[in-house]
Amino acid sequence: MQASSTGDPVSDPEPARTPRRRFLQWLSGLGAAMAAVLVGYPSLRAFFWPTRAKVAPEHWVKVVDDVALVDIGAPVRIDFVELANDSWVETRVLNSVWVYTEDGEHFKAYNGHCTHLGCGYIYDKDKKHFACPCHHGVFDVKTGAVLGGPPPRPLDELELQVKDAEIHVKYQDFRLGISERIES
Amino acid sequence: MTRLTRWLDERVDLTGLRRALLDRPVPSGLTWWHTLGSATLAVFLVQLVTGIVLATYYAPSPDHAYDSIRFIDRQVTSGALLRGIHHWGASAMVVLVLAHMVRVFTWGAYKYPREINWTLGVGLLFLVLAFGFTGYLLPWDQKAYWATEVGTNIAGVTPVVGNAVARLLRGGAQLGAATLTRFFALHVLVFPTLLVGLVLLHVALVIRQGIAARPWALEATKDPITGQLKDAPPRTSESGYPQFYRAAYAAEKTGGVRFWPDIIVKDVGVSLAVIGIIVLLALRFGAGLEAPADPTDRAYIPRPEWYFLPFFQLLKLVPGTWESAIATGVPLLLVIVLLALPFVDRRSARSLQRRPVARLALVGLLAVSSMLFGAAVQDAPKKAPEVGRVLSSQERAGRALFLRQQCNTCHAVAGLGGGRVEEDAPDLTEIGLKHSPAWLHSFIEDPSRFHLTSKMPTYGPPTLTHQEIEEIAQYLTSLRGVPAAVVPPKQPEYHDTFPAVASPKEKP
Repeated sequence: MQASSTGDPVSDPEPARTPRRRFLQWLSGLGAAMAAVLVGYPSLRAFFWPTRAKVAPEHWVKVVDDVALVDIGAPVRIDFVELANDSWVETRVLNSVWVYTEDGEHFKAYNGHCTHLGCGYIYDKDKKHFACPCHHGVFDVKTGAVLGGPPPRPLDELELQVKDAEIHVKYQDFRLGISERIES
Repeated sequence: MTRLTRWLDERVDLTGLRRALLDRPVPSGLTWWHTLGSATLAVFLVQLVTGIVLATYYAPSPDHAYDSIRFIDRQVTSGALLRGIHHWGASAMVVLVLAHMVRVFTWGAYKYPREINWTLGVGLLFLVLAFGFTGYLLPWDQKAYWATEVGTNIAGVTPVVGNAVARLLRGGAQLGAATLTRFFALHVLVFPTLLVGLVLLHVALVIRQGIAARPWALEATKDPITGQLKDAPPRTSESGYPQFYRAAYAAEKTGGVRFWPDIIVKDVGVSLAVIGIIVLLALRFGAGLEAPADPTDRAYIPRPEWYFLPFFQLLKLVPGTWESAIATGVPLLLVIVLLALPFVDRRSARSLQRRPVARLALVGLLAVSSMLFGAAVQDAPKKAPEVGRVLSSQERAGRALFLRQQCNTCHAVAGLGGGRVEEDAPDLTEIGLKHSPAWLHSFIEDPSRFHLTSKMPTYGPPTLTHQEIEEIAQYLTSLRGVPAAVVPPKQPEYHDTFPAVASPKEKP
């Protein structure tokens, strides 16, 4: 705190560092900080709300009306449209699952998103594996295991129930690009 | 100084900055009233911060504006509080700007050499009012829609250019989608830019010219040698006045009071108190949200925000043929008078005791505005009745939801709607006599709790939130038969039974 003189001692004397002056400076800082917190705290909470907002919960979806419709030995992709709350807009979203069976009795269902960065993968009929067109991730059809490319974990297998010849799947999305399977 | 501050100081001259902005001697005798300008600036910063966060969630379209505001109120953490702060902050801005203006006027601080800063201040006053007017529309509820309808119609009665002005405001011939985007753009892009620019100029001039000194100290100076009092030249336009002013003003700054921290600590204290009050009001009363805008609801009686009430009341007192002249003449006259004031009033007298005309004008203006304001409050309209009685805002919201969820395709109310999809759905005209709001809420949430065979879908979350279901339940409770003109409404007798435990629905 070195104030150089401007040569006008009447209008611009050097401020003394009195305790009173320092107390008032400290008080001003405290008041300003309190005002900033009073408004800044709710503002930041609201701004960062998306980091804590709830996502659509897991839910059961009927994906196949009759198990007889599922090809044996080759996976089928089943698309379904659902109503969803997109913030303040009620909207329709398209989700897909791949259903696979070897014997027509035991079924497997995989979430339709590649575990790398969420692209929709396809079934390569010639090579008999799943292939993701985005970054060339390759998955095994029977287990969902990664056969090649960047995906960090196997395909997300979904819980599945067969009831009265209908196939129901507990649909759920997981966080992408990481090796652990964590709900998004 | 720490090493870091010394390093910075060598490069950006922090010391010079501090001396130019903070370590300034200020005149003696500054009052608590002198904190109003800084308090206005503080509240503007509050508006800026809360406004930016609100804008991240707001959709300026008639299809989504109302829903996005509801989303802010109900989903976003602290969202309702932020809306409340922004709402009450707007009122605080108007109060503070007006009070600041009155203080400057009574101290004669608009006179030499601060004429230009006064006109910048007048610009800021009208900018703050324009902020209020455009912000009022954004929630797109009934209040917003109808107040803007009337407001833009007032602009429309301006002679000659009225139609063009109204269309320019609305972005078309009618109030609608283009009005909302236009008001939004003005509110968040144009006005803030203008305001920041004007505020910077306004504050820069305060720093350049210093805070105005006590009025009486600028009316006479004491000669430092002879000790004799020397009166100011009678008019500021006289050639000797600037020299007199400089001497008198410099003498006032020798009291040892410094801007930092002597004045700033008061500024911060008052700003903190004002912000505290705004937050308390926001917590207690929120910002309010009426039913969604309904352009077909001709029964709605619009009211402007409180600071436009005196003007609103004035228009009620004016016969039709004078309307156009008053509606545009009064605001125009106000602008002209305020802008011209420092250039017309060039007498050097600054104390209110020595300015009888100013005293009269101030008292007269305050009296007329308060009388008009009082009359407007007394004259608050009784709402038009809806099916025999005034619905609360919660019930109105419930009615809007009832229609939007298309409950009326199955259920009839007072002979309207019903029977289109499900013929067995009961008529709801007297539902409020049969069931309590709590029962209705529970039923709407999941009808199978009460009637296993009910064909009504479940409306519990996520289809509707509990607050929305409660609004519908409240609306249904208000349905107590079609009232005959004079028969008082019947009182309900509930015979509700609730299932012991409401079982969650089985999932496959």
